[in-house]
Amino acid sequence: MKEVKDLEQSVQEAMAFLRTQPEVKSALAFASANNRLWTRLNYTSHIPSNGVEEPKSTGDYGIGIQIVVDSPDGKKVGFGSEEKDLSLEGVRLAFAKAKQGAVVDPEFQSLPQPTGERRSLFHYHDPTIMNLTDQGLVEAGWKVLDGAIGSFLGSEKLKSAAANGRLSDLGLIVGGDLTVLQERMAIASYEMPDVQSDESAIITAYVTAMVEKGDAKGSGYSVHLRLNDLSGKAGSEGAQNAINSLNGIRVPSGDYAVILGPQPIAELLDNLVIPSCTTSAFYSLESCFLGKLGSQVASEVLTMVDRGNAPGLVGSRGITCEGLPTGETVLIKGGVLSGLLSDWYEYQRILNDPKGKEKLGVSPADFRQAMTPRSGFRFSRGGGRSFGMLPTASSTNVVFESSAGTDLETLIRKVNKGILVGRLWYTYPVNGLRAGDLTTTLTADSYFIEDGRIKAPIKVNTLRINDNISNILMGIRGITRDTRPAVLWGADEIVYAPLGLMVDKVHFEAIAEFMEETY
Amino acid sequence: MEQKVNIALIDRVKDKLSNLILESKKKLKDCSYVDLRVAVSERQAATAQDGMMKSSIRDYGLSYGLRVIAGKEMLAPGYFAESLGTADVDGLPDVIESGLLQAYERAIASSRMKSERKSGWEDLGQSLWSSKLAPIKACQDTIPGVYKISPLDISLEEISRLTQEISKAVASYDSRVKVNGILIETSLARQLFVSSEMTNIDRTYALTQGLCVVVAVGNSGNQQTHYDCLGHQRGWEILTDGVQEEFIKLKPFMHFALDLAADSVSLSEARPCPSSGKDVVVVTDPNYNTLLVHEIIGHPSELDRGLKMETAYAGRSWFLRNFNQNMLGKQVASHLVSAYSDPLLPGYGHYEYDDEGTPVKRIMHIDKGIFSGFMNSRQTAAILGAEPNGHFKAADASYVPLIRMSTTVFGNGERDPQSIISEVDHGYYLAGHRIPSISESRENFRITARKVYEINNGKLGEMFRDGGMMANSKDYLMSVDAVGNDLRMYPIFNCGKGQPMQGKKLGNGGPTMRGRARLVGGKG
Repeated sequence: MKEVKDLEQSVQEAMAFLRTQPEVKSALAFASANNRLWTRLNYTSHIPSNGVEEPKSTGDYGIGIQIVVDSPDGKKVGFGSEEKDLSLEGVRLAFAKAKQGAVVDPEFQSLPQPTGERRSLFHYHDPTIMNLTDQGLVEAGWKVLDGAIGSFLGSEKLKSAAANGRLSDLGLIVGGDLTVLQERMAIASYEMPDVQSDESAIITAYVTAMVEKGDAKGSGYSVHLRLNDLSGKAGSEGAQNAINSLNGIRVPSGDYAVILGPQPIAELLDNLVIPSCTTSAFYSLESCFLGKLGSQVASEVLTMVDRGNAPGLVGSRGITCEGLPTGETVLIKGGVLSGLLSDWYEYQRILNDPKGKEKLGVSPADFRQAMTPRSGFRFSRGGGRSFGMLPTASSTNVVFESSAGTDLETLIRKVNKGILVGRLWYTYPVNGLRAGDLTTTLTADSYFIEDGRIKAPIKVNTLRINDNISNILMGIRGITRDTRPAVLWGADEIVYAPLGLMVDKVHFEAIAEFMEETY
Repeated sequence: MEQKVNIALIDRVKDKLSNLILESKKKLKDCSYVDLRVAVSERQAATAQDGMMKSSIRDYGLSYGLRVIAGKEMLAPGYFAESLGTADVDGLPDVIESGLLQAYERAIASSRMKSERKSGWEDLGQSLWSSKLAPIKACQDTIPGVYKISPLDISLEEISRLTQEISKAVASYDSRVKVNGILIETSLARQLFVSSEMTNIDRTYALTQGLCVVVAVGNSGNQQTHYDCLGHQRGWEILTDGVQEEFIKLKPFMHFALDLAADSVSLSEARPCPSSGKDVVVVTDPNYNTLLVHEIIGHPSELDRGLKMETAYAGRSWFLRNFNQNMLGKQVASHLVSAYSDPLLPGYGHYEYDDEGTPVKRIMHIDKGIFSGFMNSRQTAAILGAEPNGHFKAADASYVPLIRMSTTVFGNGERDPQSIISEVDHGYYLAGHRIPSISESRENFRITARKVYEINNGKLGEMFRDGGMMANSKDYLMSVDAVGNDLRMYPIFNCGKGQPMQGKKLGNGGPTMRGRARLVGGKG
């Protein structure tokens, strides 16, 4: 993998080259190198399987050039990139593409400029993750499976469920992946000429386990900043949660009090709330919080912050992919929409939008601090900071704060009749983001609560939620102090979600009744 | 200077790469199988928003992906992939050879660890198997792209001009159109597949698409966002002339985008769709059924889901619980319903060989109501004891292929669509697809429509916004009592599957259908 110094040298040379081009009025060079390594897992006790199904990787490096040139039609801006070549030749090829594709965008103001904030996060990752070998990658995947199989083999509950003691006949399933992301980048521009660089590496494990004969499913996941921390924990957690979900019951349609677990919280945030908390969603009239910056959008219990510079959190970076410092953006404070995730382009755009006040609900100039561009990233290809993309706003670590936080058992005791939702599936804003209507199904780790106690697990895939995100946010009545990082399939951010978020009423529909007769 | 990454590159490296794979398989100890995909593309694209240009680009791409199956006591797979650039062209075989060794190392390491666990996991180790691929005929073929105007012969200026012109036209269509986004792209791509079994497939294809997003706000403040896609494996001509084929009929992109604007504006003035609370008669148009067949037939008919390989991500399939409990040969729909996948149908999902070199064939999933088959890969076919049917595809050569739809459709019926509506005393007509949500094994769905019309006494009445239908999949399919003769196919530009996520272009479609389901409006 290319070293940071190679990337720094490349952008330095790029800047020197660009300054020799008279038509270039401003420019930015971004070089990166990324490795994404996965072991995809597939184990089934009743169907032939590989266990570690796909030990694999994709890697890339290259340079992206953004330029501003004068033309008879006005200021033009263009972008081009070249893969696998950090030399001057690569710079020339990227520059040629940028020049060829340059367009007049009347809304373009400038390339990113200093915001007055300073970088606070340096040297925050474990360098040994960068040196993971092929053998190490494969071994790590088998370790996760060992954790799951160990839990299955050691379970008395499972042994008593198995006829003739054959656990394999129970239809045991372990799927998921171990993901290793290795990222390096360097950036420089006319506006910020000092070459800056960043390096990060994380490991995540995401496991779903089933005892299929009992329609029981459980999830396990873990995030690691240190290679030595890797263990089979995600696998054993998934398997244990599946065992805990045996003998699930059906629950009738209706409105229920709900405690959302970490994964459902992350799922709702990733699909509805965070996309609505970006300046671009306000500009294009799509946010479900349109016109409500500075107004109540959730219960006062909710305070949610995007913290991109926090040491020890998995989504942290030192600088954004625009060369600006990461930091803290308070998104919702005491239920009030307080800040938005921005990249430089969208930040400038909303500040200069004649309809900005109508869209935000407040004067953009009065709230410019709330939209400071700390979130411009070039995430792509399943992870990594891509030299071939322009930045868009992305969250990093979403954390929750509450002075009224309690523990999960206390929340459960408050529920007369309700549902502890452990995992949601296929959550979408079905009528567009603006409307806030959502639908999703419960697919694992969910329990029926009665008289303040967990009564029974809920059978997999038997309930659908049809509701609205505004109802859910305004209906939050309690939150736990403790949080854990939730890993979502396909998401770039990590949500450090509370162990429980209590909502007073959510609408459920019973579904898939025909499956009782089918299997 | 001549651009080094171009479609003709494959001609220069084809034989060398084929020999590399054959020699490597012989040379590497305990190596059972090797395959390689190399893909080159040359692409042009432009975007505009509200009549203002945002970007344009002419670029190229080069990538490869390798699979090695190797091992001493047990065979296991290993993979390696990279995105490449101009600097790699001259030494391409060496670059790929280096990657091949890494894929091999991973396979060998995994093989050893799998063998250890076969005994170490007691009873649970017995299902670990020595990786196998069902046999196929090794084919050698060269397939040219089909287009009238090559994506490379149209200038970037012309592409930008059309993009901006359409965006301006949509912006000025009506004052209630507040935001619009237009993306046009046109590309020529070529993929080489070679394997140690002497398969050699060299396929070129054009791909052109236009995407349009419109945000309209009605006079009373109701906002509607709608998007649509026009696309085909053809050249530039589909944007200027549209498509007029037997089952694919699409207007030129300007008209297509303006139609979307018109719909968005009328919907912004419409009342919200009511919820029925119980099953009602629903008639769905071919465009709505495009997403319906995709979600409740296509996806659960992917055999990797059936064999639990997607349990953590895309989910399982209620069509198969295990080898003894499944729906093969059993009724899952009314006898009027048939559905199949056919990669030879035109459109986004068209191809002749999949990414394992398997020659494709049409697969019936539902044959007059009876569930009859899955899309598969060589590995999953080997597990089920079936014949491979050519549905193993990746969105790019640098991704590991997955079982994906090609073109999956509801079969054509015999009824005149107008008569299907005219027979309805009271019900609803759902036109155009919007957003889906399906339960994990695909046993229940809720899919919103672009437009929902009330039907009274056989006639379309009021149009509603923000509505759709919800049902258990089997219950809905069994309720179908009329199928039209108006099969149409549409492009799906963004089907997501896999870890990492692969957004794949494919085709779906169907005729007008009538069944029963719950009508669901919004709560917002």
